[in-house]
Amino acid sequence: MWNIGIIMQNANLKMKNNNLKLKNKFIELEHGGGGKKSEELIAEIRKIIGGGKNNNWKNMRDDGATLDLTPTLSLSRRGGKYGRDAKFCVSTGALKCNKLVFTTDAFIVDPLFFPGGDIGKIAMCGTINDLSVMGAKPIGISLSLVIEEGFPMADLKKIMQSIGKVSKETGVPIVTGDTKVMERGKIDKIEITTSGVGLAENIISNGGAKAGDYIIVSGDLGEHTVAILSSRFNYKSKIKSDCRSLTKEIQSVAKYLNSCKDPTRGGLAAILNEIAEKSNTKIILDEKILPFKKETIAVSELLGIDIFSLASEGRFAASVSSENVKKVLKILKKYNSEAKIIGRVEKGKGVFLQTNLGSIRPIEALNGKLIPRIC
Amino acid sequence: MNPEKIIKNINKISKKIGREVRLMELCGTHSQTVARYGIKNILPKNIKLVSGPGCPVCVTDQSDIDIIVGLANAGISIAAYGDVLDVPGNIMSLSQARQRGARVFAVYNVAEVLKLKEKYSDIVFFGLGFETTAPATAWAIKKGIIAYSLHKLFPPAMAALLKSAKTKSTSPQPSPYKGEGDRIDGFINPGHVSAIIGTEVYKKFKAPQVVAGFEAQDVLRAIEMLLAQIVRKEKKVENEYCRVVKKEGNKKALDLINEVFEVGDAKWRGLGEIKNSGLKIRKKYQNQNAEFIYCDLIEKLRSKIIEKPSACKCGLVLQGLIEPKDCLLFKEICTPENPQGACMVSVEGACNVEYRYNNAKCKS
Amino acid sequence: MCLAIPGKIRKIKSEEIAEVDFDGLFKDVNISLVDAKVGDYIIVHAGFAIEKMEADLVADIQGYLRK
Repeated sequence: MWNIGIIMQNANLKMKNNNLKLKNKFIELEHGGGGKKSEELIAEIRKIIGGGKNNNWKNMRDDGATLDLTPTLSLSRRGGKYGRDAKFCVSTGALKCNKLVFTTDAFIVDPLFFPGGDIGKIAMCGTINDLSVMGAKPIGISLSLVIEEGFPMADLKKIMQSIGKVSKETGVPIVTGDTKVMERGKIDKIEITTSGVGLAENIISNGGAKAGDYIIVSGDLGEHTVAILSSRFNYKSKIKSDCRSLTKEIQSVAKYLNSCKDPTRGGLAAILNEIAEKSNTKIILDEKILPFKKETIAVSELLGIDIFSLASEGRFAASVSSENVKKVLKILKKYNSEAKIIGRVEKGKGVFLQTNLGSIRPIEALNGKLIPRIC
Repeated sequence: MNPEKIIKNINKISKKIGREVRLMELCGTHSQTVARYGIKNILPKNIKLVSGPGCPVCVTDQSDIDIIVGLANAGISIAAYGDVLDVPGNIMSLSQARQRGARVFAVYNVAEVLKLKEKYSDIVFFGLGFETTAPATAWAIKKGIIAYSLHKLFPPAMAALLKSAKTKSTSPQPSPYKGEGDRIDGFINPGHVSAIIGTEVYKKFKAPQVVAGFEAQDVLRAIEMLLAQIVRKEKKVENEYCRVVKKEGNKKALDLINEVFEVGDAKWRGLGEIKNSGLKIRKKYQNQNAEFIYCDLIEKLRSKIIEKPSACKCGLVLQGLIEPKDCLLFKEICTPENPQGACMVSVEGACNVEYRYNNAKCKS
Repeated sequence: MCLAIPGKIRKIKSEEIAEVDFDGLFKDVNISLVDAKVGDYIIVHAGFAIEKMEADLVADIQGYLRK
């Protein structure tokens, strides 16, 4: 996912220790963790590739890059009934939109099948959600598969069936794709890449939080990681992956959201820090009303993993003004009764937790390498 | 036991004491609890908490990492607990050895090594930790696992620390601490180590001590009990974690440790070599002792160790002599993603904790 | 990493292994270091039960943990 901190346009993001980037002669797991090391790597890649400046794409550090189609479309209609500067709207079902949103994501999951989903479902929902949190309605998805020689056909069938199911349920078609097979041992089972395009009337930025806003979540968080880790470590629980498409939920409240993001890799800690930084605000969560089930807390305790970095694949967090928050929650509760307020936005910087003891401590975005800690 | 009452009482007692009081949490998980619940932010100004040498990853010496990395690079399969993989040696960490092709596995439970052994019969388990993880390694050795033991005993380290506290500092660098009297006024003793070794063993240390559990309330209560001892000018061992820790410890676990291990000398980062502070695999199990099986190779690796000069001050941090922010590398060059020393690697390391839960930030 | 939360033994699966309930999460734990039976609360470290928790204190603890 390139969207996490893609370029260092933002001068204050520049690491003090630039020379460190060159210190790594080899790729490390942290480079794919979604944390600071990923950010450094992506910046480095951007630098090598070059370009990326002289184009009209925006939000290149967000979940999806956006392109305003108005100039392109109005040009072709010059002098027509819309006039030179009039906005031309593309009709996409219920929405009238003139902004194109584009995203891509590569999916590797171990295990491939887990309670509540499989790699196919995630590959679809992940890309659909990246478009959705930008305020877009997805209109088409590409699907690329890299499969290991000897991979069971029955498993592939299961994965494709769940891709088909999501496509049908969400009405988002798979419009193009590619398949490659690699020699046994050259790749681990299967890797899936999906890209998606969507159209939006208004882009929901992740930099729009304002002091006085409430931070809300669309349901309890972290259950995707809990399901994955439970499978990997042979834990049994009722928890299933929260993997699902967010399009409808977000569309139903989009106009009220000042900022919005889905807490995938890096979890709530990563997205709230991003929202706080880009909005130039401070976010304070309240430990008494955290959105975690007791099983999720148990997993985080058992494996020594920070609960705020657990990933969800079908939830979002948003900031909403105080006058709209009740309305938004009422709508969201129709989708998930656990939707709730978890904190507030204030003037200042950083993300903090107000603990049950009455103290305050920071919530830092860390690398997403979820390695159980023992010592 | 409501926390507000405890905090009120702590405030009351610390006013009575007046002077600065320095308490050391000896166990890494206690440091973690302190940070997670922002405990430092609610304590009165004259009560200071410092982290001690109780994070097993942090006290692992670079030269020991060099040996295990050397074994991995020589083609021997290595399994280790997750955190250990990123601890830098003089040349590289186990993770970096894996990036270069070595077979290194992160395990969460030593039983996983039994499974790995089916596929990699040469696998060596890198046993690390205090009396808490030593019984698990002993169990694995009895099941046929080959191990390299870096297990350490807690009380000898505490003795060394107290000695250095009395003589101010034995480390080559001068201590920046300029307080009066004892450098540390009281100790929060580890919970799980104590569950194994009991509480009697601490009696020989003449300092206020409280064995504590890992919840915020446990730590607050321990602080309250320590302050009460200080007011009464007592130096005794109290047990706040009596729901788990027994006076005599866990006999079954101690017997198992004794059966498989014998006491030997061990090197501690920061504290240097401490006599009788390590656990070595007994002769009876020498065929499962990597140090015995690969003694020639290890000898060769040991002779090649070159101590890399580093500005890293983990050693001083571990003794509570300086705070992480007093280290020049802290946050500038040393970060959890580019750790220069072990205290930044482990989530329980003082530097890692300080990095993640930076307390100064909360006041801004 | 010392694990603060106690687990409750649900099922003894073999001489060494028991299924333990951590707040709705069930996990196999090696119980060879403790004399434990079904219903006992135990403290676990790196996959091994290292001590039992006093039953009358468990309720107390769980009460204040949840607050």
